[in-house]
Amino acid sequence: MSVLSLELGIFIVGVLGASALLQKNRHEAGSEGTRGTIIAGLVFTTVGIVASGWTWSIHNSLMKSGSSSMCASEGLVQCGSVIGDPQWNNLFGVPWGVIGIASFAVIFFFLMTLYLDQNAKRVPQFVNYLWYLGIAGLPFVAWLVVIELLLVEGAPHICPYCTVIHLSMIGVFASSYVMRERRANSTW
Amino acid sequence: MARRRAKSSDLTKNSEETLLWAGLATSGVVSLVVIASLALAPIVSIGPDEGNRAPDFVADAYNGGAWYEFRMSDIWDWSWDGNSSESKWILIQFIDTDCPYCWEEGDEMSQYHSQWKDRVTFVTVNVHLNIPNHDSSKSEIEAFRDRSSFGTDDNDGDGCNSGRDNCLNRPGTPHQWTYVDDPSNSIFSQWELSGTPFTAILQPDGIVAWNKLKHQGQGGDGEEMSSALQRLVGDS
Repeated sequence: MSVLSLELGIFIVGVLGASALLQKNRHEAGSEGTRGTIIAGLVFTTVGIVASGWTWSIHNSLMKSGSSSMCASEGLVQCGSVIGDPQWNNLFGVPWGVIGIASFAVIFFFLMTLYLDQNAKRVPQFVNYLWYLGIAGLPFVAWLVVIELLLVEGAPHICPYCTVIHLSMIGVFASSYVMRERRANSTW
Repeated sequence: MARRRAKSSDLTKNSEETLLWAGLATSGVVSLVVIASLALAPIVSIGPDEGNRAPDFVADAYNGGAWYEFRMSDIWDWSWDGNSSESKWILIQFIDTDCPYCWEEGDEMSQYHSQWKDRVTFVTVNVHLNIPNHDSSKSEIEAFRDRSSFGTDDNDGDGCNSGRDNCLNRPGTPHQWTYVDDPSNSIFSQWELSGTPFTAILQPDGIVAWNKLKHQGQGGDGEEMSSALQRLVGDS
């Protein structure tokens, strides 16, 4: 199975597009810049949710048949050895994909609230919540990278879908940073 | 500060409707993703109950020669069609080298292995029960499996069977199958066990076919493992 598939391509385009949007709007003052920043965060989050769902499907198919047609299972860049590793593919029995869906859903809710009403009184509070969630996500990203590179059976391996999710989380962190910056500089 | 206060005061009051729409949008996106994920690959039931996929694990194992990394699912035949007699069934046993009942079961297991080894792969998982005089080590596991000298025959805590016996005197013959060490009792927990010995029979594809507690526990039909092997695997 080829490493680069249509789904992976779409996810990568999503992450790159969100990054470009964030960069473009970072220094653009006013509500248009704010809206663009929030949309960039929403795109990162949507990619995170969908890619998490994809890894959950891979997890389920590996549990069912020991292999998955949704991702390569051999070589350095593959999912089988990462998502299929019984020791590291879950947190207290919950697949990482499910944890990803739940985490990005919370972030999506806060971002969508900001998107729908950029002038509500709750804005400073919700921007702070997003900042804290972004910070909270980074240790998990670091831990999962350590698992891929050092701990799974036959390490190192790089799971491309997992990497997309990690980049999405870093994108959420960057978006929340820019939002806080905009609040602090009164360019919201 | 004054500037920030002035800016904050520009914010209008909160609208509950915004929260509602954001909640609906979030629920919609999450529902779509969950439905699509499950449509692509449904959840597989994993656990000790019959009909479930047995919990997979990776752990240190001893095969009589050396310790190596053992993965349970590596011995499963994922493509087993339910009929093929070429694939081997799996008997998984949980013991503690210091548990008196496991000590006694050593002989029974030797007999089962002698009878079924051509059609059943045996795996023993050694757990470390949190009981006084139940401190086992890799050397003790090796000695229990190999029926070799470890400890004394005095009740001094040194050896197998709660430290009452030299492992050399374990009932039965040396066990010619893989022994897995579970020092953190994580495999034991995945199987939702509270004591040893415990045995289960797995289909060649790793599905639990017979769980001792379901048959010999409260409300069970009392089926013995030998009968279960006969029923499931057929003539040895």
